[in-house]
Amino acid sequence: MADFVQLVVLGLLAGGVYVAVGIGFGLVWGVLNIVNLAHGALVIIGGYITWQLFSAFHIDPFLSLPVDAVALFVLGYTLQRGVINRIIRAPLLFTFLLTFGLNLVIINVLLLMFGSDFRSVTPSYSGQGLELGNVVVPYTRLASLGVAILTAAALAFVLNRTRIGLAINAISADRDAAQLVGIDLRHAYAMTYGLGAACAGVAGGLIAMIQAITPTAGEPYTLQAFVVVILGGLGRVSATVVGGLAFGLVEAFGQSIPGSGSVFANAIAFGLMVLVLVTRPQGLMGRLR
Amino acid sequence: MIAGAIIATYALLAPLTSLDAVQSAGVPLLADKLWFRIATYIAMFMVMATAWNIIGGITGYAAFGNVAFFGIGAYTTGMLVAKAKWPFLAALPLAPVVASAFAALIGLPLLRLRGHYFAVASLGVGVAVGELVQNIDYAGQPLFGGASGLFLPILSIDNRGLFFFYLMLAAAAIAIAVTWWVLRSRFGYGLIAIRENEEAASVIGVNTTAYKVGAFALAAALTGLAGGIFSQWNVFINQDNAFPIEYNVQMILMALIGGTGTVFGPAAGAVLLQLLIQFLGGSLPISFDIPFVSTDARPIVAQVILGVLLVVVVIFMPRGVIDFFGGRSRLSLSYLRRSLRETSL
Repeated sequence: MADFVQLVVLGLLAGGVYVAVGIGFGLVWGVLNIVNLAHGALVIIGGYITWQLFSAFHIDPFLSLPVDAVALFVLGYTLQRGVINRIIRAPLLFTFLLTFGLNLVIINVLLLMFGSDFRSVTPSYSGQGLELGNVVVPYTRLASLGVAILTAAALAFVLNRTRIGLAINAISADRDAAQLVGIDLRHAYAMTYGLGAACAGVAGGLIAMIQAITPTAGEPYTLQAFVVVILGGLGRVSATVVGGLAFGLVEAFGQSIPGSGSVFANAIAFGLMVLVLVTRPQGLMGRLR
Repeated sequence: MIAGAIIATYALLAPLTSLDAVQSAGVPLLADKLWFRIATYIAMFMVMATAWNIIGGITGYAAFGNVAFFGIGAYTTGMLVAKAKWPFLAALPLAPVVASAFAALIGLPLLRLRGHYFAVASLGVGVAVGELVQNIDYAGQPLFGGASGLFLPILSIDNRGLFFFYLMLAAAAIAIAVTWWVLRSRFGYGLIAIRENEEAASVIGVNTTAYKVGAFALAAALTGLAGGIFSQWNVFINQDNAFPIEYNVQMILMALIGGTGTVFGPAAGAVLLQLLIQFLGGSLPISFDIPFVSTDARPIVAQVILGVLLVVVVIFMPRGVIDFFGGRSRLSLSYLRRSLRETSL
């Protein structure tokens, strides 16, 4: 029983990272109709910023999260405005290849800058945890789940309560009509991608605290973000939150099966995805459109 | 036209590199043994790009995980030769059979998905199959050689390099011939109808499920054949060289550069892109120095250049580089501007 509770706790905590990675990916996909294969690379940029600030200036990793968000927002806005906007009306294969190309460039530039060594961020409180009976709750993971939920709430607030958020909702509903009522599409698209990248930056900061990072460490997260978004249902931040937590749970239980270990992580994730797509294509929380 | 010329030049020049006369005369460039290995790699990519074209170009389903079939082909032949001690030529035909059977099996659920869903699901299959092959254990032993891979006994024949080159080239010829046949058959018209409008195709009586699965299995068979030849040619296979994720994108880019949906385009694209990749990586006998870049950093810089190139090709030349040579359009500023305007906001 204690094992079961521990698994549930660990799964939910791990789900925090998936929430953070998933919301930005889901926003870009839902609004811009782009499956952003560079998302994991953006995440890892955030991780390296946190690592650099920690190792050079001893800045607490949680304090560097806003820096990650702002830096990635600027990068994301520029990428969308300068590059991705140019193929936004091309067939899907082209947006796929373009974002894959960006992924390749980012990862290899990171390799040139930081090398392929493992980097980890270890503040004094890492490794400590709250003990409730037989169940251990690591502090960093608990805090990162909190940060992920807060980020999701902030994103939902921006999308539902601000002028630019309403513009983003409008282009997501009908691009041409949005243009007719005077929305600057180029700017709104770039803002959307920028917000998505900012969420990726926060996710990267959280990931740097939980695992050692390398330039290629973001690749699995791209695929997992896709599964998380499908699991929850495309189009709403709250659905992605549920998807991320559910994915964390499935992964925790999948890895606890004797003999499987973590080596089948991808196989489990994609098996789950195909199952969801075939049986409930709108996701756990989605509404049929 | 131009695609045919590129392939013909390749087919004429490549075998020359192996001839003893050329070797002993020391003809510049051609006499290098390395060229010959690269020529075989080019033929391998011709098969994969042409096969991808059947599902991606003709049917219009953006398959991103075809490397799974390459790996399955490689491991089928590899297992039969290394573990069951079959002769290579008896084991080779099973590579396409197993690969296409697998494709038909996963194609039934996957091909119900469309667009992004199909693309990423197929990418996931590519990743997952490699992982499974490396990690499946049976009675405590890795079933497929595990992380240490599989070693095949070296084939004891004369002119081994030449043999595998012609074998790979034959596979490329088969792939091109199959594409030629597909484009002229009832089957191919059905696939094109699916690409243009799947609902309409279904309404006029195309059995879309059977056609899509058929195209997927056909592409898998050809890719698996290349994998089967690769396993015996390379003598050693593991997860890294039988399931390289980057092949997924390389074969698509080759088809795109050469022109999707055509018979010879993808193969010509394979010649061009593979030469470029080897050139940037510094493994061609004619080479160059990238300024300010040390030898260690070179492969990484080559990847950056490749990524930038991918972005540029996708943005400015969505109809393929071949478009410029066939007389249909000229490379000019107005062409680039037009491509840009068609797709940008």
